[in-house]
Amino acid sequence: MSEMLSGAAILCRALVDAGVEVIFGYPGGAIMPFYHALPDHPRLRHILVRHEQAAAHAADGYARASGRVGVCVATSGPGATNLVTGLAAAYMDSSPVVAITGQVSRPMIGRDAFQETDIVGITLPITKQNYLVEDVTDLADIVAEAMAIAVDGRPGPVLIDVPKDVQNQKIEWRGAQASGAASHRDPRAGARGQSLTPGASPGSLEDGVRAAARLIAGAERPLLMVGHGVILSEAYAEVRTLAEKTGIPVITTLLGISAFPDGHPLHLGMPGMHGEVHVNRAIQNADVIVGIGLRFDDRVTGNTASFAPQARIVHIDLDRAEIGKNVPVAVGIVGDARDITRRLVAAVEPRRCERWVEHIRGFVRTRTESYRGDLSPEAILASIYEASHGDCTIVTDVGQHQMWVAKLYPYQRPNTHITSGGLGAMGFAVPAAMGVHLARPAGTVWAISGDGGFQMNMAEMATMVQEGLPVKMAVFNNGYLGMVRQWQQFFHEKRYSCTPIWSPDYVKLAEAYSIPGYRVKEASELADVVGRANAEPGPALVEFLIEQEANVYPMIPPGGSLSEPIEAEPAAAAGD
Amino acid sequence: MSGVSAPPPHSAHTVAVLLDDALVTLNRAFGVLRRRNVPIEGLALHPSGTAGVSRLTFVLKADPLTADRVAQQLHKMIGVRSVMVLANDDSSTEAKR
Repeated sequence: MSEMLSGAAILCRALVDAGVEVIFGYPGGAIMPFYHALPDHPRLRHILVRHEQAAAHAADGYARASGRVGVCVATSGPGATNLVTGLAAAYMDSSPVVAITGQVSRPMIGRDAFQETDIVGITLPITKQNYLVEDVTDLADIVAEAMAIAVDGRPGPVLIDVPKDVQNQKIEWRGAQASGAASHRDPRAGARGQSLTPGASPGSLEDGVRAAARLIAGAERPLLMVGHGVILSEAYAEVRTLAEKTGIPVITTLLGISAFPDGHPLHLGMPGMHGEVHVNRAIQNADVIVGIGLRFDDRVTGNTASFAPQARIVHIDLDRAEIGKNVPVAVGIVGDARDITRRLVAAVEPRRCERWVEHIRGFVRTRTESYRGDLSPEAILASIYEASHGDCTIVTDVGQHQMWVAKLYPYQRPNTHITSGGLGAMGFAVPAAMGVHLARPAGTVWAISGDGGFQMNMAEMATMVQEGLPVKMAVFNNGYLGMVRQWQQFFHEKRYSCTPIWSPDYVKLAEAYSIPGYRVKEASELADVVGRANAEPGPALVEFLIEQEANVYPMIPPGGSLSEPIEAEPAAAAGD
Repeated sequence: MSGVSAPPPHSAHTVAVLLDDALVTLNRAFGVLRRRNVPIEGLALHPSGTAGVSRLTFVLKADPLTADRVAQQLHKMIGVRSVMVLANDDSSTEAKR
């Protein structure tokens, strides 16, 4: 049986066939045929955002929380360009997102038509792949291929640009090609598993694992550093087994947080620019570092020339291009974190590292930050942990609060910390949290932002109300773009240029959106207010009036060595 | 900026890339070079002999590490079938799917 279907209807069917259930989008001229067809496909729940950037971030949040592809839709021109930040964030953090954009009709392309932009050209460097659909007969296969590419190997965003006349074109529909263009592609490099050693051609996977096991066996001061790859491949049990079998302490990068339980005796914390002193000193003293699913980015390493000067590095990553990109490696193993870690567990001999762990314990500094009053980030985060009984997903924005959460929130469950790490996109938390809720409708999600980042995408409160998304919003209000102000304090002679930022009355603002809003000024109010907000059936907003000039300590100056942190001066920290 | 030490000597590396015969793939491949601002000399695009596959050949002026990074970045692109780097000393490495 065949029937005549429009490109728009084929697009909807292809999304349904790919298992898509939620799409985040915003209609407009060039995508109208798609929106015309959409109501015929009730399986596709559409979330009407207030800005296309939020659609991309929400799709990203959905993807990170579910492990499935997040889908966002926008019209041509400004709709498409508004997606760009969200796609760049998804690209930097390896998140599987498929973006569908309307485009002006084919005869108009290249003629500077109304709302025409070359979105394929614009997104080339921030997508794994992108398509301009020139023939409606290719559309279903392209959607299937895009969905496969987004999750295949190292995940990432894919964009499909569909001209309006292609959406309107009707063809005889016989269903998508069974094979699809995606299936004939060779497996990604990493999927095969290869080991790389400098100066040698790729050796076998087994050789790499054996070499890594030998290094671990001979190490006196070994470390495990785990990143986002462990979460993407769900290698939690394998990493934990490896750590417990060998007694090697574990460092979790910003995107690796929650891959290993906080509070485990072997868990050290986050490294890098805002890593605790003992974590960075452990790195600087280590003789072997086994990195699993991380890319040793500059916020982790500081100056690479002085990073881990005594360590021989084993780097396990799915993306072969990451091996040796930022730091020289002794052993590089290309493959899935879970698979390789499982092999490594089998290859290593049981051992202990008690003296080394004790040595690291000697590096631990007592936190010396002080805050005006007692409404500290610790106290706020503890109240969220208690109100949610430790069972919620935390989505953070970018800045000081992001670092406080990364350092202080006691994550116990895997993949419950979601943040924009690589791109560092302010405005991420609120829309991404909407996506997280849709991926985990039974769970609680808290979007934690500063007063700067919250104001970037706070219009999404309307989306939450209209679509029934019970996101809990926490706003850490210090009246500054706090992280920039902190840099100005340290590196720009305390010239607080353009960092003081005015906020509306958030309680009234929430009320205007018919959302319960609360303001917390004293720690004594925390348990009651956060508890009430957490128990709200719908969205809720809590503003925390925190110390204005609190800093995130310690801090490695940009490009500096992990050995030379700026640490808190007790007298100066309380707001000079 | 990263720590500055004496830059390794630049040498010529001939890079041969087999990739899908599509302008968007070619554009993406050039993007890898443009983003890293790697100087290239000589550039040729020819049919490979296989339908739908082109051969892109260029000469890279870079240190061996940079040449390898460029090859790895090209290699992971969707639409790239193989990347071969030939150093001026005739040794070659192949990054193959």
